[in-house]
Amino acid sequence: MTTSTRPQTAIDRAPGNWRPAFSRLLANRDLRLFLLVLPLLAFVVVTVVVPVAQFLYRAVDNDLLAENLPLTAASLASWAPDQGVPGEASFRALAHDIHNAREAGTLGQVAQALNQQITGVRNSFIKAALLVDEPDGVTPEELMQAIPALGETPLWALLQSAGSRWTDFYLLQSIDLERNAGGEIINVSADRAIFREIIWRTVVISVNVTLICILLSLPVAHVLANARAPWSNLLLALVLFPLWTSLLVRTVSWIIILQGEGPVNATLLFLGIVDEPLRLVYTRGSLYIAMVQVLLPLMILSILSVLLKLPKELLRAATSLGANWWQGYWRVLLPLLSPGILTGSAIVFVFALGYYITPTLIGGPRDQMLSSYVAQFTNKTLNWGLAGALAVQLMALLLIAGLGWAAFRKLQGARR
Amino acid sequence: MFFWPNLRRRLALLHTAVILAFLLAPLVIMVPISLTSGTMLTLPVPGWSLQWYEVIFTDSRWTVALINSLIVGVAATAIATALGTLAAIGLTWGRFPGQQTMLAIISLPLVLPIVILGVACFSFYASVGLIGSRLSLILAHAGLAAPVVVTTVMASLKGFDRNLMRAGASLGAGPFLCFRRILVPLVAPGIMTGALIAFLVSFDEVVIASFITTAEQRTLPRQIFSGVRESISPAIAAAAIVLVVISGVLLALTSIVQRRARLQRGTAR
Repeated sequence: MTTSTRPQTAIDRAPGNWRPAFSRLLANRDLRLFLLVLPLLAFVVVTVVVPVAQFLYRAVDNDLLAENLPLTAASLASWAPDQGVPGEASFRALAHDIHNAREAGTLGQVAQALNQQITGVRNSFIKAALLVDEPDGVTPEELMQAIPALGETPLWALLQSAGSRWTDFYLLQSIDLERNAGGEIINVSADRAIFREIIWRTVVISVNVTLICILLSLPVAHVLANARAPWSNLLLALVLFPLWTSLLVRTVSWIIILQGEGPVNATLLFLGIVDEPLRLVYTRGSLYIAMVQVLLPLMILSILSVLLKLPKELLRAATSLGANWWQGYWRVLLPLLSPGILTGSAIVFVFALGYYITPTLIGGPRDQMLSSYVAQFTNKTLNWGLAGALAVQLMALLLIAGLGWAAFRKLQGARR
Repeated sequence: MFFWPNLRRRLALLHTAVILAFLLAPLVIMVPISLTSGTMLTLPVPGWSLQWYEVIFTDSRWTVALINSLIVGVAATAIATALGTLAAIGLTWGRFPGQQTMLAIISLPLVLPIVILGVACFSFYASVGLIGSRLSLILAHAGLAAPVVVTTVMASLKGFDRNLMRAGASLGAGPFLCFRRILVPLVAPGIMTGALIAFLVSFDEVVIASFITTAEQRTLPRQIFSGVRESISPAIAAAAIVLVVISGVLLALTSIVQRRARLQRGTAR
């Protein structure tokens, strides 16, 4: 594209042109150009990459427990759940840790973090804090009275996990797995298994939206490609216009259009097709309508950009050689269009995976996608570990989609 | 007689018309609703009135939101355009190791699910004590909009003849003078387009805003968003129209800028 050596200018060759070391370094053209990229790179790393990495790290972060329960974890170093409830030393260590955490003002956070993994222990730990003014004087019985869960091994296993700075609890939980008493990874019981269904739902919705977009786009792209001068510009502008208007506005519009008193129901009632308003909004159907409306222009543009480069006589050539229209389209035109379809699909699929506003506003409770749960666990239950783990799952889906797209591209390149 | 190719063409035309109606319906429907004299978001409207536009431009909640949106949009655009243009020049002309990786890192906000970025910003700006300040939203939006500027400017740099810079240098102009007097004027349409789109990105953004702003810094989309959840009133439709009109005006400006650039290049030849 460009040559890497700059031709010497008159100034460079001027006699006695002494440059200090730094300037000589700057005389390297590529280094100078790199310094132009640096400010934005640094900016994006600080405002995007670091915050996102920190958030994703929360999925495995166990620092809070590791820093606040060191004595307990140390006392449990050689303990295993099949040994039953540990001895008095561990109780005393726990009393000390609770005392220290209370003094440091972190007990509330610790209790909250423990509560994410064993529901109901938050209040017990707050109650126990009142007992531990004299940590050495607390008997195991007194502590167990405040924290009944200490009579069983799961809480001790959790306390033992404070020995590590990392935990796999949230990552496992985000795909409906957990560790049993023996430390083996098992499926959680069916009544608590919700996340695999959510991940699957996110994928299914995104795939369906992509397929619908492909089917609806193809004829439109052909009409746009074949339209003549003033019309083609007008049509293109009409396709582009929604792309530049607020996603939020468009979603709100669909709520108005599809709601009980909305124009769609009014028309159906007027025509006598239905007797009472249909429930159209807050359903999977309304989610598909809104998402396709938002993402369709991207697919149309991707296909159109490839179609415009193809000679218009392809189909006629195919039919003149004896193919019928369908064969010509399926065997000749569609393979040539596939790069555009593929690029469009990648864009639509990746955008769809991360959808948040539209499902939140127009979907029912059973139509929420991964993003909504990431937001929910952050905003409502303050379960940062689980929110981070679900974000990791979402990123993994994106990565798979990206790798799949790259592999397809390579395959296509190889075939040619 | 029935002629198949013709039928197919007509079906395709009909399909296109339906799809265009489908694409534009949500925008068109907002116009009558914003002009309703009633208090419900329903059609047909009971009568016509400008009362909801009056609400938008007089009720302090909406005016504050509009002003915040403009401030955040302009500031984020300024940062994104300045940093984005420089980076685009470096990435287009430079040859250094890790270039593709750098472009990928800079483009990250384009593919990152917005909720992940929103939550990440919330936790990050909370930890540095910037949460609930306008500055945090400006920085977040600038990061989101910068890749758009980079892409646009890189595209317009592809058509720039670098011999012009060499000619400038051979006539004794330093790099900065060459940049200001040769490069910027010729690439200006690309920079303008990038800046306008960057503004639109910030002006429409709601997810990050909903995570890191409080009531005082809420932007127009944020106000619409909470309006949808809290109290559904036709003011939302009026605000939406304002949002669409501003976007439309900016979009028209972009195409005018580009057309003028094409004409100028045409006369220069």
